[in-house]
Amino acid sequence: MSVLFYIFSAVMLGFGVMVVLNRNPVSSALSLVGSFLGLAALFITLNAYFIGVIQVLVYTGAVMVLFIFIIMLLDVKTEQRRNLNYVAMGGGLLVVLALISQLAILLGHFAHGKQQLAVLPEDAAVHQDVKRVGEAVFSDFNFHLQLLGILLLVATIGVVVLSRRQGRADRS
Amino acid sequence: MLPYYLEIYVVILGVLMLCLELFSGRRSRSKIALLGVFGLLLILGVMIFAVTAPGEGVQYWGIYHYDQWAAFYKGLALLATLLVLVMAREFAPVFKNYTSQDEEASGLGEFYCLPVFVCAGLMWMSSSKDLVTIFVSLELVTMGFYVLVAFMRRNVGSLEAGVKYLILGALSTGFLVYGIAWTYGVSGTFSLEQLAVILSGDDIADRVAIFAFALLMVGIGFKIAVVPFQIWVPDVYQGAAMPVTAFLSVASKAAGFIVLLRVVEPFLSAPSLREPVLYLIVFVVCATLIYGNLAAIAQKNIKRLLAYSSIAHAGFLLMAIPAIGSVVTVRGPDPYSSIAFYLAGYLIMTLLCFLVLTIVRVGNEGEDLVAFEGLGKRSPFLAFAMLVGVASLAGIPLTVGFFGKFFLFNIAIQNAMQSGLWIVVCVAVFGATTGFYYYFKIIKAMYWGGGASAAEVGELKVGRLAKVSILILLIAVFFLGVFPGVLLDLSQ
Repeated sequence: MSVLFYIFSAVMLGFGVMVVLNRNPVSSALSLVGSFLGLAALFITLNAYFIGVIQVLVYTGAVMVLFIFIIMLLDVKTEQRRNLNYVAMGGGLLVVLALISQLAILLGHFAHGKQQLAVLPEDAAVHQDVKRVGEAVFSDFNFHLQLLGILLLVATIGVVVLSRRQGRADRS
Repeated sequence: MLPYYLEIYVVILGVLMLCLELFSGRRSRSKIALLGVFGLLLILGVMIFAVTAPGEGVQYWGIYHYDQWAAFYKGLALLATLLVLVMAREFAPVFKNYTSQDEEASGLGEFYCLPVFVCAGLMWMSSSKDLVTIFVSLELVTMGFYVLVAFMRRNVGSLEAGVKYLILGALSTGFLVYGIAWTYGVSGTFSLEQLAVILSGDDIADRVAIFAFALLMVGIGFKIAVVPFQIWVPDVYQGAAMPVTAFLSVASKAAGFIVLLRVVEPFLSAPSLREPVLYLIVFVVCATLIYGNLAAIAQKNIKRLLAYSSIAHAGFLLMAIPAIGSVVTVRGPDPYSSIAFYLAGYLIMTLLCFLVLTIVRVGNEGEDLVAFEGLGKRSPFLAFAMLVGVASLAGIPLTVGFFGKFFLFNIAIQNAMQSGLWIVVCVAVFGATTGFYYYFKIIKAMYWGGGASAAEVGELKVGRLAKVSILILLIAVFFLGVFPGVLLDLSQ
């Protein structure tokens, strides 16, 4: 398993770097697909099949298609011509390095994090992760699910209002 | 009646308003706002008279907690939303210029509905004592604000503000979730009550817990606009429509402080974590007070000025945090009720200022200090209301702002006498004095600034509902400035 972990992590991180480095938005978006696939594979090696599948279906499938649609509707050339801001890039790198070193130090001190978790049975009939997720969402966190329903209503209103066509007075 | 019906009523009211918008055809939208105002008033009445809060509080399903504290913030949310709807109704003429001339396509109906849903989110938040509920209801509030800020979509400023708020808001949400994940990793629980027990135990990874707290603090810092997470505030306040700015400065801040007070307590009561967490908070308090007050001095646009003033007020509010969880007993009101009092007072005085600002903006198209010149001659009533609001923000005695600052200073000084944190008090004194300068700049412009008189430019029109609201707020500022105990008792 450990070999697979390193392979998939390398895939995920490599494509992640490509997302940032590519000047062409379409290549960036496709690299993001690769990165998500690596992440999904990592979930599956952890026996979390459900979240792995959802990762592919929702992010790699639906969200990425939307991204590419939007990129096609926008002007790709302006993005390619944009000059690099080296100061901002340096600052960003500094923040990333600070965070990584902090995490490295922290993980050394985190005893809970070193615990070996119990290995879940591989038999899907026994550990039924879809059922467990469903139980958690619809019983323990049912209240929160209802709140999210209202949140979606607000988001829908927002999308409709902000993207509505201009009134008659504007067209004339 | 059960307390959790209140939020359900608010959501139903929001849906009713949406339906009215749908079926009211091409007629004026202002009655949707009226429905909202009176509906919220009714729910406020129901809360005061029909829902009792027992002293120790009640809880449902371990998710929804109702006590005096929660009831106080629910009342605050209802009141703020109600006044914002009044303001939005006054603001409609300006608003239409920036969406669409066509009444039907202007989206005004939706503009009145969204604050009601935000209000429901705020009310749920004040009842939550676990990280999941806090997060979900905070997202409901933020999502409403994303839309509201960008609402005047034909105004470049508003769009820019919307984009900035969306991106920085999403970033801060990311930090908050990451912090929640680390907190869960350390403690294995989402419940803040259990978290307090676990963090005070021996078997705790200190560094990891502090890292988790720092991440949580980044997320919350964006919401309450403290330095170094304040960059978005001036631009967003300036770009958003006037009622939205008012709502943002009052409701978003109150939401952030509810979360902060809930989250900070377990960390500050843990003996091994208290000191590093205190360092972090003291740094934030001092930076916020200095930056907010100094940057406000140079501002020419009143909305930007109030934006920096809102940063400064966040600094004052944070002043009481170091006293939480300390062994020192403070004489007078405790940190929780002092902060609640200050937030309520801040709501009253900020909304008073913004109501006047809205009317002036609708009347002569200006948001700069120059627009206020000669307001004392043109409209003595509005000028007086603004004078009182600004004086209260500065903290002049006999206004509610004075007692707000008084209680916070009381806590900070008593805490400093025991623990030696005098730097907070010194910086706060410096900040409060600086405040007088820039608040009085507005007063100076109104009464001694020259400008045209009413005979030359015509009277400012004030709607009846707005006039009544201004009067009530004026009375509240003075009444609470003389009898602060009335409000303080409610928050204990």
